Amino acid sequence: MSTAVIHDPATLPSDDNVNAYTFCVELKGSQWFLQKGKMIAYYGRIDFNGIGHGRLDRLMRTSFHSPLHASDWVVAEGSGKMLLADRAFDVNSFDLDDGNLTIRSGNLLAYQPSLALKQSIVPGFLTLIGTGKFVAASNGPVVFMEPPIRVDPQALVGWADCPSPCHHYDHGYMTGVMGGVRALTGFGGASGEEHQFEFAGAGTVLLQSSEALMPEQPTGAVGAEPGVPGSHGSAVPAGGHGSAPRLPGQLGDLQRRFGL
Amino acid sequence: MPFREINSRMVEATIAPGQKMFSQRGAMLAYKGDVGFTPNMAGGQGGLASMIGRRVANEATPLMTVEGNGTVMFGHGGHHIQVIQLTGDTLYVEADRLLAFDGTLQQGTMFMGSQGGVMGMVRGQVTGQGLFTTTLKGHGAVAVMAHGGVLELPITPARPVHVDPQAYVAHHGDVRNKLSTALGWRDMVGRGSGEAFQLELSGSGAVYVQASEEKL
Repeated sequence: MSTAVIHDPATLPSDDNVNAYTFCVELKGSQWFLQKGKMIAYYGRIDFNGIGHGRLDRLMRTSFHSPLHASDWVVAEGSGKMLLADRAFDVNSFDLDDGNLTIRSGNLLAYQPSLALKQSIVPGFLTLIGTGKFVAASNGPVVFMEPPIRVDPQALVGWADCPSPCHHYDHGYMTGVMGGVRALTGFGGASGEEHQFEFAGAGTVLLQSSEALMPEQPTGAVGAEPGVPGSHGSAVPAGGHGSAPRLPGQLGDLQRRFGL
Repeated sequence: MPFREINSRMVEATIAPGQKMFSQRGAMLAYKGDVGFTPNMAGGQGGLASMIGRRVANEATPLMTVEGNGTVMFGHGGHHIQVIQLTGDTLYVEADRLLAFDGTLQQGTMFMGSQGGVMGMVRGQVTGQGLFTTTLKGHGAVAVMAHGGVLELPITPARPVHVDPQAYVAHHGDVRNKLSTALGWRDMVGRGSGEAFQLELSGSGAVYVQASEEKL
């Protein structure tokens, strides 16, 4: 049985976890980016400025490259200690050393301005590039895995240095007569593990220990531009029926079948 | 096929060719190698009769068969996971608490009334097990889910264990259980202690208790 620990400014850790659910950031005249609403308490003199003011324009240019969702982030500035937490999820800090890491937008809590935050090409993900520390939340502890690996879409937190995240479908299970019956009726287990994210090459894949997703943070819509994934620009993928992928042997739409 | 605990909410299982294991549908988090997942209509082992039996008993949790060659990571809903090794004895557990188990284990359904008659049925209602519970028998490993951490309490003939029915997860071994009531006039007028029902387990074996009174 552990008794409750009472912290004061001197005993709070500097840039480390207080417990599994709280992270303490020490500011000494420095700055941190954090997502709105993730600060739970602070000691000292810390200013929280919404991004988009003229004074922070230079900072924005060097380490915040997603002007489209700038309103979801604030800059903490000053000196003191600041506690970060997110709905009792596990919180962890990670160090990047001249690397790159892509993370689900809802999981990222805060990062040092020495890192540059950019929107990933993969919708709903953000990429951090450079050297520095960032804080991320996850449902259950984060587990690091080496590729090649296939991951349940809901369990994926992010990946570092992996060149090729792609979709993997279990074709033997989804095609054929039984596959058709399953897809049409939902009878016999339509939902299961027939779809994963596949990672190949050298790098690290970050998993959380459950499929409970954190609510996604808007990363901002990308401009409608042909060739940009998720932009809904002029280049509409042919025959996109929403989520269901078109399988070999499956009947297409009339236009497709007639080649129109 | 041993389970390796990666952390409190995630286990890793190694699958070799020719081996088979069952897991709750959708509980796979990631896998390496060449592993296939097939939904299991029958909800476990046995033929059509076993399937109907499970459907009737409402112990038919959607399961899938995991086969192939590689390693699979399992986890579900952020629940804590307890790996239980069975060496020939029988594990009694609710089907929806099963995360994954060895294909070599024999799966069955037990009528609560067969252990203590009407009192057994009442016990099933109080523990949330219903009238039926699932049994797993043989040599192998089972990964069981619980809300909060799991405590393993050994049961010896000299020392029976009393458990809050809501915190009860599973038990194995040669164990008799009965519901002991401490109902009095206080409970009737709404001034009870809230602990009127207790599960008393005696014999030799072990009972698993979760650190929460919340059901899965």
